[in-house]
Amino acid sequence: MPLFGKSQKSPAELVRSLKDAVTALERGDKKAEKAQEDVSKNLVLIKNMLYGTSDAEPQTDIIVAQLAQELYNTNLLLLLIQNLNRIDFEGKKDVAQVFNNVLRRQIGTRSPTVEYICTKPEILFTLMSGYEHQEIASNCGTMLRECARYEALAKIMLYSDDFYNFFRYVEVSTFDIASDAFSTFKELLTRHKILCAEFLEANYDKVFSHYQRLLNSENYVTRRQSLKLLGELLLDRHNFSIMTRYITNPDNLKLMMNMLKEKSRNIQFEAFHVFKVFVANPNKPKPILDILLRNQDKLVDFLTKFHTDRSEDEQFNDEKAYLIKQIKELKPLEH
Amino acid sequence: MKMEVRRKNRGFFKMDPVVDMGSPFNGKRDKNCNLKTEITPPGVSGIFRQKSFGTCDRQLSTLSSYVRAACSLNNTAGNIGNLFTRKMAASANTSCPWPNSQDDYELRDVIGVGATAVVYSAYCKPRNEKCAIKRINLEKWNTSMDELLKEIQAMSSCNHLNVVTYYTSFVVNDELWLVLKLLEGGSLLDVIKHKMRVSNCKHGVFDESTIATVLKEVLKGLEYFHSNGQIHRDIKAGNILLGEDGTVQIADFGVSAWLATGRDLSRQKVRHTFVGTPCWMAPEVMEQDHGYDFKADIWSFGITAIEMATGTAPYHKYPPMKVLMLTLQNDPPNLDTGADEKEQYKVYGKTFRKMIIDCLQKDPSKRPTATELLKHPFFKKAKDKKYLTQTLVAIGPSMETRVHKASKRQPGASGRLHRTVTGEWVWSEEEDEGETPGSDEEAPDKRPMNELQRADSSGSDNDDESTVPKETAPRPVASPPAQTEPNVVNLVLRLRNARKELNDIRFEFINGKDTAEGIAAELVGAGLVDPLDSAPISVNLAKLLQMQKQPQPQPAKTVTFHLNSTGPNEEFDDKTLIGFAQISLVDLG
Repeated sequence: MPLFGKSQKSPAELVRSLKDAVTALERGDKKAEKAQEDVSKNLVLIKNMLYGTSDAEPQTDIIVAQLAQELYNTNLLLLLIQNLNRIDFEGKKDVAQVFNNVLRRQIGTRSPTVEYICTKPEILFTLMSGYEHQEIASNCGTMLRECARYEALAKIMLYSDDFYNFFRYVEVSTFDIASDAFSTFKELLTRHKILCAEFLEANYDKVFSHYQRLLNSENYVTRRQSLKLLGELLLDRHNFSIMTRYITNPDNLKLMMNMLKEKSRNIQFEAFHVFKVFVANPNKPKPILDILLRNQDKLVDFLTKFHTDRSEDEQFNDEKAYLIKQIKELKPLEH
Repeated sequence: MKMEVRRKNRGFFKMDPVVDMGSPFNGKRDKNCNLKTEITPPGVSGIFRQKSFGTCDRQLSTLSSYVRAACSLNNTAGNIGNLFTRKMAASANTSCPWPNSQDDYELRDVIGVGATAVVYSAYCKPRNEKCAIKRINLEKWNTSMDELLKEIQAMSSCNHLNVVTYYTSFVVNDELWLVLKLLEGGSLLDVIKHKMRVSNCKHGVFDESTIATVLKEVLKGLEYFHSNGQIHRDIKAGNILLGEDGTVQIADFGVSAWLATGRDLSRQKVRHTFVGTPCWMAPEVMEQDHGYDFKADIWSFGITAIEMATGTAPYHKYPPMKVLMLTLQNDPPNLDTGADEKEQYKVYGKTFRKMIIDCLQKDPSKRPTATELLKHPFFKKAKDKKYLTQTLVAIGPSMETRVHKASKRQPGASGRLHRTVTGEWVWSEEEDEGETPGSDEEAPDKRPMNELQRADSSGSDNDDESTVPKETAPRPVASPPAQTEPNVVNLVLRLRNARKELNDIRFEFINGKDTAEGIAAELVGAGLVDPLDSAPISVNLAKLLQMQKQPQPQPAKTVTFHLNSTGPNEEFDDKTLIGFAQISLVDLG
């Protein structure tokens, strides 16, 4: 089918020449420059096959199916990701586009690439470690977030040891990489509600001891982002048992009370949304109750003056009024 | 009592951000490109319509803050030597990545000030290289980090000679520092405005070769953009930057979007809205029925071509609603649309005019792509970079002027509130009007380009402050203390609009120049205040100002008063300002 004019290669040929070029690039011998060129060229051809160009429609399903099958058979996706740092700027983006397109491909309700990656989880781990390298971090992030949309892949990532590297990645100094890592991290922890809840319950101690470090980060953005995400996690009804566990720990309450007093108004506001859960809990354990009682007057006073300018935010004001009332009415447990 | 402004009602145009960086571009299939617009009937939404066009110029505003960034320092350049120094430095430094530590940069002059950010020309010590640094105060502007990330990724995914270069970004306390390439020639708009001031441009600002040379570079940038799956959405002279060596780059694609409209989306439940600049906006963007694609940039490109010839966009004289109507109802504009006389622009030839016609076709599918347009015969007239150093860079405003202007643009600097043709309230600076030579006899309000240009710092300032009203919001850390002159009083009028939403209108009162009646009349004239309320506002403004002159130790900073315009059945309440309004002094210190 000469849809692309003279140089139309079959999917098998394309995949093979791309693989040869990447292998040559990996060896890094004298022909590396030529290999670089070949990689870029073949990536563009594959991309065009999948997406079409302004002059040509994407290829037919059959061709795309053949292409995907070749990619699986040759393990080229993994090879590409492993050598991503050696590929040129545009080529890196092409890899991500090809990867995401093939990943999204469905046959009926099946997602063959998802099935394939399940058998090759090193693809996921290689992508996750991409956050270690500035020059490929955002490309890997783009692919990771596409993967995270599939529950099976999200599960592999969540339950891996590598997942805990995210606590480091979200704090790296380059803002765009840290934020990219954070959005992947958030996606993994929130996308598939039941999976996430199960994961958090099963790994509560480990996750939250790591999480504590984010909340205490030196980096303003990390602190603000992680506090906000914490609020969202705790208030998600799927995570009810995680929330109950979280709000029985007096250390968590102390942290939130300190964050309510942070200099940053945004952080204060996010802290409020976590703090409120402690107060609203109808079955406060004694240590929590003790802290609240010890600070009863101060808290009432503090909350009365807290963000009074948000008068248009009705929900916030209702919640605040409710908290003040609750705290005023607190009484020590009778023995 | 501080009110958050409901941004919902801000725009004529509400658009969803359209570019998904992850998806490859494909005009037909890109489902990410959808955009919803609501046209609010005129006069309904009260002042936030005004505001909206302030923010509509978010593109303008934020962009221009970067555009300012581009205006760096000739004098420094003179000291350091020429561009070769930089080039060599750059090539020598490929091994040293752009550092993420504040200490590695030396901030030099403020070259742009917006409410959300301050732009500096800076020097990167380890690399021995100049750069621009945009410091954004994250705390002040309740920005959604996701939006922020999206925009920075849009920048960092570009690597092209004609697209402004992003180096790195990092967090310093509660600020985000964006490190960008420093373009020292200013924006194309700066050069156009300057040329129009110093010479007679009645029959055209630039010769065809200059126009072709610049636009060809812009097209190359656009072609790259589009192939990358991105739509710029705000192509215009103000967003085209010039390097001292004649380099042409498309700047700021949307960092501004979140800057001006950044909200915490997850909590506020308000859609992120995006508003383009009406004069450059394609009809399908205004209409919204089918969404739009990269062809919208081609339209804006065509308008920019007219701008380079005539100095302004064709409908620049009209208020935004009118621009929309004219764009939608009339035949596409051309070089002569805004002309005062017949044959005013006869120096421009057929090829150029045909190129413009090609771009400005109402049916986007009939417009050429950037790639096709590059083959247009008009671009055979294009020359090289060096030509631009002679025709553009050399004649541009001096760096001193630009730096001076930038530093003059401190939030709250001397000036007064004007309503521009965009419907926005902006500060205009007297100094600027003063420097306009006598040849330029147009009244300031007839020179919207200038007004718009000025809108960037102050416009977004107003806008931003409306989200954090009354609070003596900390100025961007970087800006030196506001140079408020003692005879200028900053005030805010708080009242409910026709929809009963509380709004803040900020304005300045210049002692000895303004009168309370005058300000009240201006507010009425702008449609911000019901005519019935003109009297109480004027009386109470006068009262408040008078109180400040009394020798009391602590004069009241606020007056609350009854309005005349309230409906018969309304329950008045001076706490919630139902049937009442409030004027307060604003402490800018």
